[in-house]
Amino acid sequence: MVNRIAVTGIGCLCAAGNTLDEAIASMLAGERHGSAPRRFTTTHADTFPVFSIAGEFDDVSDRDMLRTSRLGLAAAHQALAQSGWSLETLKSLRVGVCMGTTVGSAMNNEAFYSDYRQGANPSMTPIDRFLASNPAAVISRHYGFNGPTQTIVNACSSGTDAIGLGAAWINAGLCDVVLAGGADELCRTTYNGFASLQISSSVLCRPFDRSRCGLNLGEGAGVLVLESEASHRRRKIEAQGFVLGYGSGTDGWHLTAPHPEGRGLKQALAEALAVSRVRVEQLAFVNTHGTGTRDNDRVESLVLGECLSGLPFHSTKGYTGHTLGAAGAIEAAFVLGFLQRGQMPASAGFENMDEDLGAVPVTSVTPFDATMALSESLAFGGNNAVLIFERGEVS
Amino acid sequence: MNLLTQPVAIQGIGCVGAFGRGAAAFVEAMQRGTTAPQYHDDLHGDGSAYFPAFLATTDGLDDYVPKRALRRLDHYSRLALLGGCLALDDAGISADQRDRIGVIVASGYGASATTFGFLDSVLDDGDHCASPTAFSNSVHNVAGAYLSMQLGIHGPNLTLSQFEMSVSAAIYNAVCWLQQGRVDTVLVGGVDEHCAVLNYCYRRYFAEEIEPQRIEPFAFNRQTAIPGEGAAFLVLSRDPKKSRYGYIDAICAGHVEQRAESVIQRSPILLGADGHRNSGQWYQRCVGNPKTSCSAVYGSLPSGQAFDLVAAALMVRDQQCHAACDRIEEAAQIRQITSIKCASDGQFGAVRVSRWSGKGR
Repeated sequence: MVNRIAVTGIGCLCAAGNTLDEAIASMLAGERHGSAPRRFTTTHADTFPVFSIAGEFDDVSDRDMLRTSRLGLAAAHQALAQSGWSLETLKSLRVGVCMGTTVGSAMNNEAFYSDYRQGANPSMTPIDRFLASNPAAVISRHYGFNGPTQTIVNACSSGTDAIGLGAAWINAGLCDVVLAGGADELCRTTYNGFASLQISSSVLCRPFDRSRCGLNLGEGAGVLVLESEASHRRRKIEAQGFVLGYGSGTDGWHLTAPHPEGRGLKQALAEALAVSRVRVEQLAFVNTHGTGTRDNDRVESLVLGECLSGLPFHSTKGYTGHTLGAAGAIEAAFVLGFLQRGQMPASAGFENMDEDLGAVPVTSVTPFDATMALSESLAFGGNNAVLIFERGEVS
Repeated sequence: MNLLTQPVAIQGIGCVGAFGRGAAAFVEAMQRGTTAPQYHDDLHGDGSAYFPAFLATTDGLDDYVPKRALRRLDHYSRLALLGGCLALDDAGISADQRDRIGVIVASGYGASATTFGFLDSVLDDGDHCASPTAFSNSVHNVAGAYLSMQLGIHGPNLTLSQFEMSVSAAIYNAVCWLQQGRVDTVLVGGVDEHCAVLNYCYRRYFAEEIEPQRIEPFAFNRQTAIPGEGAAFLVLSRDPKKSRYGYIDAICAGHVEQRAESVIQRSPILLGADGHRNSGQWYQRCVGNPKTSCSAVYGSLPSGQAFDLVAAALMVRDQQCHAACDRIEEAAQIRQITSIKCASDGQFGAVRVSRWSGKGR
């Protein structure tokens, strides 16, 4: 990245908490809120726990839209409130919106489709709702922004890619401000899909543990307000943190399995480190993708050992579940929050080292002094993305 | 418009649609003015007739990718793969020259037929019999993944789904990647497929309308959309010497009410109007300029702007307006043309293609 990009607002809601502060406090306390799905039922013999948002969240708009978009809008609302921007000022600027999702872009309403198949003349309301719910467009439209909007659908790296690409828009001079992040809701279709691939766990997930047996799905949203360093200094606003670098790489290997040697992940790491001009030894910790599947954790462990050896690392999926297109954005918010506090929570679910991996995440709340950290995301389709962050001016 | 400090060269193009495949077929169809939509004899489950549609085939894909490798690819991924292969072939980029290439795929609905195929497996046989193959092929980035796997492209790979704004956003990212030196070349384009459910939605939404015989892009107040499918790709390069179709030298996005003036400049405008009345009102704001459209050739699909950009590249190369024109001055030599796509909410994305780069463009 040519210049570091200031993060002046952070919005975050997930199963660990409906704000970033709530979520971090909950994770540092070691709380895990996984449970059976509450919003839908299935007929699987096993129940696969999920991580749901607790109770009601701040519903910013009364328009009919997918829960995914309502989550994204709620996170955007939090982030904008913290950023200090007035809506009036933003309307005179080129404000881009860049959101990642999976569920929010899928036209897969099961009830509608079932009725269609049966010739039952289904109501078009689910389709109307889908068409009105593109996560990036919802945010741009709600605030009346005037700039490019894009919803990134790179599966599970979407949130990380959205932040990296939003930062690139600012660096390229295409936008003055960008709201970037990701949102995804728990969905029966996705639940069935991951179950069909036999990578859902019937117990709370155990990233990097010897007995890990799959992932738990989750839901939530994370949004960052990004602007140039010059802009945030001009406004005399304290930065919550900085985006220093972004990199991505593609495995070109398999639709759902990572490259066995982490080809794309290594490429993403190399790019992010090169553009940020950060050395590995300067990093405080690594936020891994750490889903708890056999393949993901094996490949990430391999790459950690080869490229990021000696750095403390953890996965927060044990607190949030895998929030798919939102994961990278929620975890970006976490990384910034951990950097502000100088400590990171234990990697939930880890108990016993897998000798085949040889990787041990942090097992307790761990303090650190360094001011930079790295977050990585891996995705179906062979997408890999990495962001590097620096602590902001807020303590 | 945001004038680009470094215009990006258009090195190659590729497209597949109801008109056929490749530039020659596209130009021929544009000059003819329309493509004939296909009519199904089938009925939807509720007894309603199928809406006409512009459907594409992927014949010839095995000229580029071994048949064995295509076995598991659905129609959506095949469309994207064929469009991408044609563009790379046109750009003269061989398999051993794909080190620093990025891929960006824009799609309105993704692999919609496969998504419903996955739901079929659940509805037919129960949750525990959900199809893993259908699920893994229904993710939106499946086409980008196959482009990477089958063509050996390991650079950045991005898929966007922003309905009508998908292609404009894709170009924004391609420009960023090239300007920042992430890659030397970007294969960027759009793909959408038609499926029974989308067809049904047309039938339901436009039940009170007269069924169109052809798309009339300039009849802004009438609903004449006919759904289409296909893929269109550009190969963009940061090396100006590699231009074979001119340059993308300006881009712009926002809301028509706030920023349309910045688009309405001297260059002719290639309207993405595709017969949808709800976006037609926004195109009317652009009427002050010479305008043309080629949607009647490829149909109505969210990623249609990808076809417009291929058309713009061809018009700039040939200095000729190949498509339907509503005014005589559009027959003048084309040296610069701006593709504009509007969504029903007034958001727009504009991309200008010029014959020259640098001063005096």
